[in-house]
Amino acid sequence: MADTKSTKPTENTSNNKIKHEVIKDPLTGVETTGHVWDDTLMEFNNPLPTWWLWAFYGTIIFSIVYFIIYPSWPTGLAEKGYIAGTSEITYKSDAGEEITTHWNTRALLAHEMQNDPNELKRQTMVKKVAATPLASVVKDPQQSQFVLAYGKGIFGDYCAGCHQTGGQGVIGDYPNLIDDAWLWGSDSVDIETTIRKGRTGNMPAHKASMSDAEITQTANYVLSLSGESVDSAAAEHGKKLFNTKGCSGCHMPTGVGMKALGAANLTDKIWTQANVPAAADITAKVAAVKTIIANGFKREMPAWESRLSNDEIKVLVAYIKLLSAE
Amino acid sequence: MASKAASPVVEQYNYDIVKKFALMSLFWGLAGMSAGTYIASELAWPFLNFDIAQITFGRLRPLHTSGVIFGFGGNALFATSYYIVQRTCQTRLWGTGFANFTFWGWNAAITIAGIGYLMGITAGREYAEPEWYVDLIILVVWVVYFLVYTMTLLKRNQPHIYVANWFFISFILAVALLHIFNNLAVPVSFFGTKSYSLFSGAQDAMTQWWYGHNAVGFFLTAAFLGMMYYFVPKQAGRPVYSYRLSIIHFWALSFMYMWVGTHHLHWTAIPDWTSSLAAAFSIMLLMPSWGGMINGIMTLSGAWDKLRSDPIMMFLITSLSFYGMSTFEGPMMALKSVNALSHYTDWTVGHVHSGALGWVAMVTFGSMYHMIPRLWNTTLYSLKMVYIHFFLTTIGILLYITALWVSGIGQGLMLRAFDEYGNLAYSFIETVAFMHGPLVARAIAGMFIVTGLLFMLVNIYLTITRRDTVENTVAATAKA
Repeated sequence: MADTKSTKPTENTSNNKIKHEVIKDPLTGVETTGHVWDDTLMEFNNPLPTWWLWAFYGTIIFSIVYFIIYPSWPTGLAEKGYIAGTSEITYKSDAGEEITTHWNTRALLAHEMQNDPNELKRQTMVKKVAATPLASVVKDPQQSQFVLAYGKGIFGDYCAGCHQTGGQGVIGDYPNLIDDAWLWGSDSVDIETTIRKGRTGNMPAHKASMSDAEITQTANYVLSLSGESVDSAAAEHGKKLFNTKGCSGCHMPTGVGMKALGAANLTDKIWTQANVPAAADITAKVAAVKTIIANGFKREMPAWESRLSNDEIKVLVAYIKLLSAE
Repeated sequence: MASKAASPVVEQYNYDIVKKFALMSLFWGLAGMSAGTYIASELAWPFLNFDIAQITFGRLRPLHTSGVIFGFGGNALFATSYYIVQRTCQTRLWGTGFANFTFWGWNAAITIAGIGYLMGITAGREYAEPEWYVDLIILVVWVVYFLVYTMTLLKRNQPHIYVANWFFISFILAVALLHIFNNLAVPVSFFGTKSYSLFSGAQDAMTQWWYGHNAVGFFLTAAFLGMMYYFVPKQAGRPVYSYRLSIIHFWALSFMYMWVGTHHLHWTAIPDWTSSLAAAFSIMLLMPSWGGMINGIMTLSGAWDKLRSDPIMMFLITSLSFYGMSTFEGPMMALKSVNALSHYTDWTVGHVHSGALGWVAMVTFGSMYHMIPRLWNTTLYSLKMVYIHFFLTTIGILLYITALWVSGIGQGLMLRAFDEYGNLAYSFIETVAFMHGPLVARAIAGMFIVTGLLFMLVNIYLTITRRDTVENTVAATAKA
């Protein structure tokens, strides 16, 4: 190290016996280690930067504290962590017994569900709604505000995937929940059954039992039920077919539908399968209805009984009632 | 070797293999980054899936990750490690045939795996999606790589092993370990593609993330530090800042990385102590990671003016800055309380890209711009195009990271917001709708980066084809 003489590394380094000499950098005054690779690659012999070293020690100390607060080694865990008082969570068991233990995620979840101020507020409101008859919940301003807020989350997570975030559904696939038409009944008991048990709708295909002309005539009749201006002669034939080819069995002779089977009311202007509202003219409307009569369709609302709690279902029913009333 | 014996002149170094890997790296870079930009666009504008199974996000995503990590990054590491080990050992690469085997084997593996992804064949393990037969090819290639590298080190004409080689050796050894244990699987049939992992449940998840994080640690960090330790001092023309720091941070990094993988599984069904241990080690990893950044950036002391005048140096030093930033962000995100917000959001994706684009891609670009003209014994066609590439890349990365901070932190905050009754204020779908704007910005950021890369490819193409070689001169003279 005492050698301050600047020496250039020899050009030919292909002999590993060659000893390189330490050189002093004219710019910084720092010495190199004396190793040279690839003609020019050298290293300074700078010490570890002090701030780096102390920061490294700092992270080690931080980690040791972290080790103790969140016990990080599985052996020798005391009931309350390595050092009493450094790592504690207290919660009540289902039996109501107070338990204090070292930090762990299960205890943390239990503790937060029992102590978090937001959770406590929510639980108070849920209990209130659960204890109030549904008709009163919908009328009470505070409870209905809560239902709209809580229900939005439940609806968004479980229902909106099909019925859309606003509940407007998709014609042809998922029923609209905010209009006045209800396939399976509109009172709260019916809506609750729909959510709990699910529903399976089945409109059979008629292309095997009816000719194309017959289907056209029936479609004309079906459109006439909701006041569309159709080919009246065709509709006249269609009316007979409606009553003889099985349509009236589910949709009733007057076309008002049947709740027990989820058969749609054909006399209103609301369409859930044939996209009549989007059709430009009467030809397109007839074509849309014909497709449904010819091919039929099946659709299914899943059962949620096993996935949602009673309280959640109650809030959801109230939410849907409020949504469709707005 | 036998065929080479006929040739009268055996070149001092095997540059042929380095050239092959370098060009292949650029090819996979374009393919992988284009795929990435496309799937980023799919997230912003979902119609781009076109209902074609082969190009949906789920199938293109592993093509993107494998393409950039193993195609672009892997080929770049083979190229630079073979270049560096020869030059710092002052000896020709051992086993020309073996080295060629690693080239064909590695790229065949990525190609077979990539075609498989599009067909829906995947092991379903992040960054280890190839099925068992590709895993076997990779295993053989890797063992041969280790052999070529070690044998070259053993016949070196230098008394000391340069620091870059320490990092490459630790990378080769660690990746072998990770690849073997993470991919232990039982094929369903000998001629079928499907296999099942040897582990199940939480053990499987922990094996996967032990692999996943150390792929980041040893593939994308240690190996690229090896690249940095050669090209930064070479390009700067200055000695490495501190030999002592390189020793300490090398061993600390190698020791600490192996413990932290489980921080990817915070708040899941794993034993709590494993997650706490990973968080604690993640914090201790911060300074060892920064050691490499300090050693790289401080190497410029005495030559700071190069940051104004040399776009290659700008690439290298900017990459170290992103490295420092993301190795600070990583340990923070590994803390349980921060992770509760960041996990499962785009913040994680942004963090990965600040490392993968900011650090890995930029240090690779800088190194390639240094190495490729030397391989072909010429000078770069255009330094101006390097500037353009640098600024497009930097703007792209900054836009990318910022967009995903907004998207990720925003979503994290929305998911934990409460209303006046203590209800969660937002449903999940509302948080997705919120992300649309940032996701559009992120897709545009990807386009910046791919455009920059196109400038590089043109520049490299012209550098190689328009070089004034001896053969060209001879040919020109003969014509005249």
